[in-house]
Amino acid sequence: MSEALKQSLDVSLFWEYRGVLLEGLTFNFFVFLCSAVVALSVGLGAALLRMNRLWPIRWIGTLHVEVFRNAPDYIMLVWVHFVLPLLIGIVIRRRVEFHPFLSAVLALGLVYSGYFAETFRAGIQAIPQGNLDAGRAFGMSERLILWRIALPQVVRRMLPEALNLFVSMFKATTIVSLIAVPDLMYNVSMVIQQEMRPLPLYTGAALTYFLIILMLSSGVRVFSERWRRKILA
Amino acid sequence: MGDVPRIRIADLHKNFGPLEVLRGVSFDVHRGNVVSVIGASGSGKSTLLRCVNYLEQPNSGEVYIEGEPLGSRIDARGQRRPRSLAEINAMRRELGVVFQQFNLWPHMTVLGNVIEAPIRVRKLPRKEAIAYGEECLRRVKLIDKRSEYPARLSGGQQQRAAIARALAMRPKAMLFDEATSSLDPELTEEVLGVMRELAADGTTMIVVTHEMSFAHEVSDRVIFLHHGMIEEEGPPAEIFGKPKSDRLRQFLSKYRK
Repeated sequence: MSEALKQSLDVSLFWEYRGVLLEGLTFNFFVFLCSAVVALSVGLGAALLRMNRLWPIRWIGTLHVEVFRNAPDYIMLVWVHFVLPLLIGIVIRRRVEFHPFLSAVLALGLVYSGYFAETFRAGIQAIPQGNLDAGRAFGMSERLILWRIALPQVVRRMLPEALNLFVSMFKATTIVSLIAVPDLMYNVSMVIQQEMRPLPLYTGAALTYFLIILMLSSGVRVFSERWRRKILA
Repeated sequence: MGDVPRIRIADLHKNFGPLEVLRGVSFDVHRGNVVSVIGASGSGKSTLLRCVNYLEQPNSGEVYIEGEPLGSRIDARGQRRPRSLAEINAMRRELGVVFQQFNLWPHMTVLGNVIEAPIRVRKLPRKEAIAYGEECLRRVKLIDKRSEYPARLSGGQQQRAAIARALAMRPKAMLFDEATSSLDPELTEEVLGVMRELAADGTTMIVVTHEMSFAHEVSDRVIFLHHGMIEEEGPPAEIFGKPKSDRLRQFLSKYRK
């Protein structure tokens, strides 16, 4: 076996630095959770706009979805971090800077809100009209119908698709190292600069992400399928 | 108060674009009475029922529940004003609706379906809602399925659950929109049985139906709808025994084969 290959498979170096790397990983989770909250709430809002009765409002929703779904994560991140503060600064005539963490959450949250909007919309439109009529017939308000009848069904219907989005989103959190959010990949780069041995460190990072995503997504899938099945004939 | 009808339907008109589905329908339903609405598909039966509780907004005409107009109210100056959606909501909870497609909420258990509106809309304490909901489930003989999800029930059981859900709101009247039309023949009878019992208990009902023998046996009054107008109406013995109009005779002959 060549020396280089042996080195790349020896992840003991990765283990040595586990403290600082784990710290980075918690940052990934943190970025993930915060941007998931942004993506879900903005996504639901955009989906509701897209289904509004008035076309100008529908149009705003469509614009939102198209802009963010068609923007690469990386470009959105750089744009939000470097360009958006400049623009805001020009408008309010003050120097503005975004904390890298804020930029990361905003950028990822917005990009994925475009995807979630479409998932929400498909889920809402899949609910039989009669189900909502039944709510109206019993005097439920539109707000009650959304929260008690529509969304609980939407969540179950969109779950498989949403899980895929969450996985992509978690993977996308690795790019936040580019704007110096101290996540796992950022810390890996720092260690590489010290140790000059990129192979085992990158391999270790790859394995870590692979295992975490595999375990989490299969765990959630098993748990959610049983709960989801109940309502499907 | 004895002569104020439970429901008064006054000159209802409904268009879908150029299509006139209802062309001036009026009738009264008195307390404890069962009025059946029969007619060919496309005669406007279901639209009529959907207009009665404003799931479809009628273009003109009004529905009165115990004398109170559902879609409008008289303001302080004596002017008629359309009601807001919130007010319409408050009015239509007085009418229990049973749909052709059951429309149970699939993510709730049978009991969950039954207590949802009493808790959220009538603001009943949970315990009370459960106690009364279980009583309603007993009436439709479904108490042993209280914890099942709708997907696990047969069509007939789902429809009985839907009837219990409507009863749980203690409505002033029940509206049945072809409640057995999407059921297999052998399941139809269990639902009709429940409806018969409700009628015998003095429930005020409007029943849109294709079940002529049921309409004959249970109704106090039968209305034959044709092209959005009442072609003929009367007690079941007359409607089914001595139909006056050719159209009704033709219509009934299809069911006698």
